[in-house]
Amino acid sequence: MLSTLVQKELRAMLLSPKFVATFAVCSILMLLSVFTGVQEYGAAVRQYETSTQLSEQQMRQETTWARMTTTVLRQPDPMQIFVGGLTYDIGRWSGISTRNSIKLSGSTYSDDPIFAVFRHIDFAFIVQFILTLFAILFTYDAVNGERESGTLKLVFANAIPRARYLLAKCIGSWLGLVIPICIPIILCMLLVGVMGVSLSAVHWGRLVTFLGISLLLFTFFIVLGVFISSLTRRSSVSFLAALVVWIGFVLIIPRTAVMAADQIVRVPRVAEIEGQRDGYAKDRWATFMEESQERWGSRCSLEELDESERDTELWNRMQEEDSLRRIVEKEIESYETRLQEDLRRRKAAQQHLAFILARFSPASAYQLAAMFLAGTDISLKARYVDAMTAYRTQFNDYVEKKQAETGSTGGVMITMSSESGISITTGRDDVGIDVSEVPRFSPPEYTYVAAVAPIIPDFGILALATMVAFMGAFIAFLRYDVR
Amino acid sequence: MNEQPTRETTLRLEAVNLTKRYEDGVLALDHINFAVQSGELFVMLGGNGAGKTTAINLFLNFLEPTEGEARINGIASHREPLKAKQHVAFVSENVMLYGNFTAIQNLDFFARIGGKTDFRRNDYRDVLLRVGLPEDVHDKRLKSFSKGMRQKCGIAIAILKDASAILLDEPTAGLDPKAGHEFVRLLDSLRSEGKAVFMSTHDIFRAREIADTFAILDRGRIIMQEPASNLAGKDLETLYIQYMAGHNNSSVAAAGGIHA
Repeated sequence: MLSTLVQKELRAMLLSPKFVATFAVCSILMLLSVFTGVQEYGAAVRQYETSTQLSEQQMRQETTWARMTTTVLRQPDPMQIFVGGLTYDIGRWSGISTRNSIKLSGSTYSDDPIFAVFRHIDFAFIVQFILTLFAILFTYDAVNGERESGTLKLVFANAIPRARYLLAKCIGSWLGLVIPICIPIILCMLLVGVMGVSLSAVHWGRLVTFLGISLLLFTFFIVLGVFISSLTRRSSVSFLAALVVWIGFVLIIPRTAVMAADQIVRVPRVAEIEGQRDGYAKDRWATFMEESQERWGSRCSLEELDESERDTELWNRMQEEDSLRRIVEKEIESYETRLQEDLRRRKAAQQHLAFILARFSPASAYQLAAMFLAGTDISLKARYVDAMTAYRTQFNDYVEKKQAETGSTGGVMITMSSESGISITTGRDDVGIDVSEVPRFSPPEYTYVAAVAPIIPDFGILALATMVAFMGAFIAFLRYDVR
Repeated sequence: MNEQPTRETTLRLEAVNLTKRYEDGVLALDHINFAVQSGELFVMLGGNGAGKTTAINLFLNFLEPTEGEARINGIASHREPLKAKQHVAFVSENVMLYGNFTAIQNLDFFARIGGKTDFRRNDYRDVLLRVGLPEDVHDKRLKSFSKGMRQKCGIAIAILKDASAILLDEPTAGLDPKAGHEFVRLLDSLRSEGKAVFMSTHDIFRAREIADTFAILDRGRIIMQEPASNLAGKDLETLYIQYMAGHNNSSVAAAGGIHA
């Protein structure tokens, strides 16, 4: 009995002309999105490799440790083919130096703003916006459409349990929509392989989980369509209701959640933070300069020293000033770190609230889960900033150690004397340096567990929402007037 | 009229004090009683809103009776709907099957949900030929069928179910005379097979061709119920109109010589 009903649903779905048209559009879109995703990824990989080589070359060409800086880059992840997430919004590189803190710059969207206007269409977008709409369009009249056409009455003139009929509706609609969509998905996977993208076992694990959760969202919208159809007697009403619910879940709730969180938890803007930092730095440097002048004034005149001691004393004084300057730099850095920490804490609270509110929509839960699985989520920037900050410390420590070993300060001493004229000294060791042992940046590791752990609540929400929709459909249909 | 060969008759459809009051207070059926035996064709006449379709809906458990019972093969349909429905087939006023399915695909689906899983394509073909649908349309999609053709498919589905009772809700409405005549012929053959047939209709002319028993339903009450044999030679149309016009029983009796 169940199989007969399921087969009927499948057949009705597959024989529908709108199915053929919609399926064709979805398939083309999926393949195109993966094709362009692979192209983008390929370009990003080439750029990453070129820039890394360039940075390495610049390090090799450096002649003094004091001026040693480098640039580190965010490594492209093949999962960005399927879920672009924030990968195009976040900067791709940061300079590593003693003076400047980590700041990711050069995002794809800042380089090519046209893409920011219309955004990329990736696989997750197709699932979230197109396939869910597809699911709603095929199920909004699952029950009331049959009532309107009179077939529901004819079916229930037979000894059919309502629960079985509804289950068959859901299974049949699900199979009828999912099986055909598996074809373009398989083609997309083949395309990825054919275009030379190599995926590790972790990537495959994340990809399969992503496809699984995509299927869950699709299932939710299928069951939701059946639920709405079981609540209403006219398909025109259920169509409108389904569309409104879809808009609410997919477009309204996620945006409203972010706006609400922004109002509830206030976070200072980047400009405010930079203003505070600059203000502190300005004050601190002013104090330092005053103190420096006092120090220079309180010291005995160099003229009082022997000529042989003068240079040494001058170097010592400069080194003292330099070490004090470094202390000031550290203080400014420490102040900035505190500001950044506070900013991050507030942002985390705001983000936490926004995510909680957004997760009232299964579509948002899916979007968050998809981005976490792809590693293109909101913590992508933080992951890289943390890794780059840790690397910066490591790099600077190494450079300072080398500087101390070689005595290079990087400073320039200009001496003006009425007797010897003007002399410029750039350091003690302006010779070639060996950078082979300079620590190299390793991109932060993103394991399968790290990708899956944050999506557990989203998976739970999607599963729960699907069950609630099914139970709702079940209860509504038990009371449904089939006439 | 329509003499049947002698056979053991069994009560297939029974309405016992069947009453339905809707939530808005409208009394659709008011303690109606009738019975249809195997091999009998019972025709329920009545105007729009008389309660004919409500009676059928109660038999099919699409509605719960307020009082009384609708029984199929002795089983109260609101108590054991699944069991009761195993013994009844239904043909609606406007048979709307699955438009994207062919006639055979529709028959196959409804036969299977009716519990008949052993049929083959030839069986479907035979029954479609029996109801008068030529072979060249068997594999055509239903959406290209006329109303008469769809009604025939509905009857074919009822035949395949091989239920002991058949409920028909104004099945000849909108059919042209030829299609109507063929439909009546089909009902006659089903009755010959011993099916208990209950038909609600406005079509008094088709009804008198075939009915074994007539009943007139007006505002939820049966105001006349007679075997067709009692009405032989009577002007059924005049009787019906007078009943529907709300004439009292005495004037009707004077005109037609019958009693409610």
